[in-house]
Amino acid sequence: MGVAAAALDYDAELMLRVKDGDSASFGQLLDKHRGSVVHFLYRLVGEQAVAEELAQEVFLRVYRSRGSYEPTAKFTTWLFRIATHLALNWLRDWRHERNQERLDDGPVDSPYRRIYDREPSIEQQLVYQVNLDQVRRAVAALPEKQRVAVLMHKYEEMEYTQIAKVLGCSESAVKSLLFRAYETLRARLAHVERS
Amino acid sequence: MTCPIEKGKPELLAEFAAGELDMETASALEQHMAGCGVCRTRAAEHRAVWEVLDVWEAPPVSAEFDRRLYRRIEAEARPSWWERIVEPFRAMPLRQLVPLTATTCLLMVGVLLERPGLTVPATRHADTVRIDQVERTLDDMELLGELGDAQPAPRPHANVM
Amino acid sequence: MRIGLYLGLAIVWLGIAAAADSAPSTPPERPAGRQAQAAQNPIERWNEMSPEERERELAKLPPARARLIRQRLRLYNSLPPEEKQALTERYHAFSQLPPDKQDIVRQRLREFHQLPPDRRVTVNGEVRRFRSMPEAQRQEVLNSQEFRARFSPTEQQIIRDISTLVEAPKQ
Repeated sequence: MGVAAAALDYDAELMLRVKDGDSASFGQLLDKHRGSVVHFLYRLVGEQAVAEELAQEVFLRVYRSRGSYEPTAKFTTWLFRIATHLALNWLRDWRHERNQERLDDGPVDSPYRRIYDREPSIEQQLVYQVNLDQVRRAVAALPEKQRVAVLMHKYEEMEYTQIAKVLGCSESAVKSLLFRAYETLRARLAHVERS
Repeated sequence: MTCPIEKGKPELLAEFAAGELDMETASALEQHMAGCGVCRTRAAEHRAVWEVLDVWEAPPVSAEFDRRLYRRIEAEARPSWWERIVEPFRAMPLRQLVPLTATTCLLMVGVLLERPGLTVPATRHADTVRIDQVERTLDDMELLGELGDAQPAPRPHANVM
Repeated sequence: MRIGLYLGLAIVWLGIAAAADSAPSTPPERPAGRQAQAAQNPIERWNEMSPEERERELAKLPPARARLIRQRLRLYNSLPPEEKQALTERYHAFSQLPPDKQDIVRQRLREFHQLPPDRRVTVNGEVRRFRSMPEAQRQEVLNSQEFRARFSPTEQQIIRDISTLVEAPKQ
């Protein structure tokens, strides 16, 4: 992506202002992308606290790189490339720990679940919980690149070209990854009752 | 339109379910599916997957996220005691720096010989918490969390842990 | 003379360092509207430590215990914000109690946890009721035949101590 095209990317403009010492622009970028980065990482690593920790590292690296920043790609491409890299490293480093723990963040016997009584009905809650569990397991079972592609495509609504740049592959490779992933998910989830 | 499955392009059905086809292609596919039960079922399954993936909402970002991030940024920006001492001399030309450094080192040796107890204070992050403190707090939090004594909080949608 | 020279150069040296512009860059301004949480309990302070510092502390424990603590921290950190806020406030009030009162609360809460689920609901409801009563009325109920018939001695103690020592969450 040439510098001229980057002029249309408002995020890149903000980042160039950060490079020039405008710290308020960093706050704007954080406000705009904090949620999507954390949510993406949460679905990728499966744990909110870890996702926030990794997201902090993402924005730290963005801030550290401000001096040498060049808008050669869309800002979000760069952002999600850092996030993906950190998340996949974390998964590889901590996979042996995760295998010994439950996939869920909130087991049924958590001591904190008694703080509030919840709506809706118990049955609906169970259905929701089962569905959520199946979705999370199905996505977690996908090969890494397929999982990343699905999370970017489905939840961050990124286009094929951008996903391709984050993953460092061609657009047709991304389409193939996504198709295989959705076919796998179709086999596992198409029967799941929607509430 | 030729059957996408027979044509070896089943991904069209996934793209249709995701709403990614242009109007012309989507319309042609709809017409085909009206007469093709296999494609109709496949597209419906993809649609079902698309909807059930929506179940997976991400929790909100914690309120302390920004504060923790800025603290880390500030900690990195804060120079160490050594950098504060060296900074004034960075721009000094070598012909001045070398003899000054040598003189300073000799003087420091002299000072230390006079005052052998002089040591550099250890730096420690002011807010370090010991793991036993954390464990005790977790114990207490879990006990306090057992006591469900609030009225049910109003919630816009189901949000079971 | 020699000591005077040492002192003089040391003062000059430290004076240059103190006068130096120490900040190589200004940290970014925090955007308005993002409020920090009120209470800094040890777990919140733990969350603000660097990953390296946290790992150093966890490494002091046997692996199984460290793993358990990680799991418990994840549970706490994954609470919905309003629940975490309520719990944080309750903990803050608890931590302000004198140590002997804290021990009483811990003991009562452990006893509460031992109760069967249906008794927990009943006792919990009674705790809520007691909190809304003036002290005189509370004593009257505690001493009444009806109250003593409804609740075991252990349950009576739980109700009495928890309602007086553990604050209700702010509405």
